[in-house]
Amino acid sequence: MFVLTKLKYLATPINYLNSSITLTFSTCCNGCSREKLITCARDFQGAVRCVAASFLHTSSSRYDLMEFFDDEKNWGASEVKVGRAWKKEELRIKSNSDLHKLWYVLLKERNMLLTMEHEAKEKVALFPNPERLDKVAESMENLESVVRERNRAYFELETGETGEKEAVFDHEELGLKQFPELAGKRISKHIDEHWHYRLMTLFKGSAVAKFKKLYREKIANEERKARNRKRNHVMHLLKRFPHIDTATLEKLYPEVNIRKAMLHKKTLGNHPHNRA
Amino acid sequence: MSTRWYPIYKRGSPQLRVFLPNFWLKLIRPVHKQPPNVVQFVVSVEMTKHDVKNYLEKIYNVPVVQVFTRIVSGETRQDPGKGYVVKDDDYKLAYVTLPQGKTFEFPELYPKEEESEQDKTQKELKKHFKNFVDRNKDRPGAPGWFSF
Repeated sequence: MFVLTKLKYLATPINYLNSSITLTFSTCCNGCSREKLITCARDFQGAVRCVAASFLHTSSSRYDLMEFFDDEKNWGASEVKVGRAWKKEELRIKSNSDLHKLWYVLLKERNMLLTMEHEAKEKVALFPNPERLDKVAESMENLESVVRERNRAYFELETGETGEKEAVFDHEELGLKQFPELAGKRISKHIDEHWHYRLMTLFKGSAVAKFKKLYREKIANEERKARNRKRNHVMHLLKRFPHIDTATLEKLYPEVNIRKAMLHKKTLGNHPHNRA
Repeated sequence: MSTRWYPIYKRGSPQLRVFLPNFWLKLIRPVHKQPPNVVQFVVSVEMTKHDVKNYLEKIYNVPVVQVFTRIVSGETRQDPGKGYVVKDDDYKLAYVTLPQGKTFEFPELYPKEEESEQDKTQKELKKHFKNFVDRNKDRPGAPGWFSF
């Protein structure tokens, strides 16, 4: 049954149509209880067991405003023990419908934690284990990236494109390069009135030139410092370990001239091999 | 990201749907006194009234009659040392009315603790000491054990 549904859902795209205005949800969002789903993400076997449990529907679904609050036994507790966040590898073996259910479980969990945190702040009380919020956020991020992977694969197979937002290099007001994502298809520069307006009015004046000069200088300084830092690091390695394998060093730090660094006085040490 | 890409709807296109909504909602204790069937939420600022209604009805299965929303400006305060102005983030409040007969009372998550044994004994000791001091007020110099 599980395999069948998995196959069925693998063949359907999930997320190619979205809207920001009206929310129309599927109501299949209360499969597992949230504790179970979050705590059972321990290993591969655990994950499979959890999916199997979701088909049995052993857990009763609470459907109330009280879902915004934690279990009553955790009220005022100084510690609430939970498992770790969902990993990408675990989410990749789930069907689309399972991911969809899990998203709503995580969404409810996050709302619950936010509510409890808010109330704890109001009462100047301890909010136990605030890292739970981070775990939920991490799980949601992983889930979304897995969905994105599948979406991408589907679009590449069906249309030859990624289906992602188009993004192009552009200049912002101060003439710096940007990589903004576009909401739709880009129109040609020749017929783009907005582009002409920007070209005629922006990126001009002595202030912009001065800013760009200073900005370039800042970037160059950072690059130079990073370069020197790396070279110094290599030289200190040579000082402490005179028999170090230079081939490996060259591989690890390709931008550093190892032969030149070996001649530097910073590589001199107290070892008989590298004493002056 | 593709899952967060909301293309412009054109007539004839299939209905746009949100599969993975990332709105958040938190239930708060009402700041001012409200009728028993009004629940107060802090919601994502980008949520509309319809979003709040759909969210509660579809995800939490809570029937909703009416939703009022307002955006509360974050508080501004001056940095005590440097003097520059700091502003907190704005947030959106939603007042959700449940249908007639349905009520919700915000639970007491942190009930008042009962007095511990130590506090009790301390209080008792304090009381006895006060008695002792009061008793010996009008007879200075007499030892504490001297009493009728």
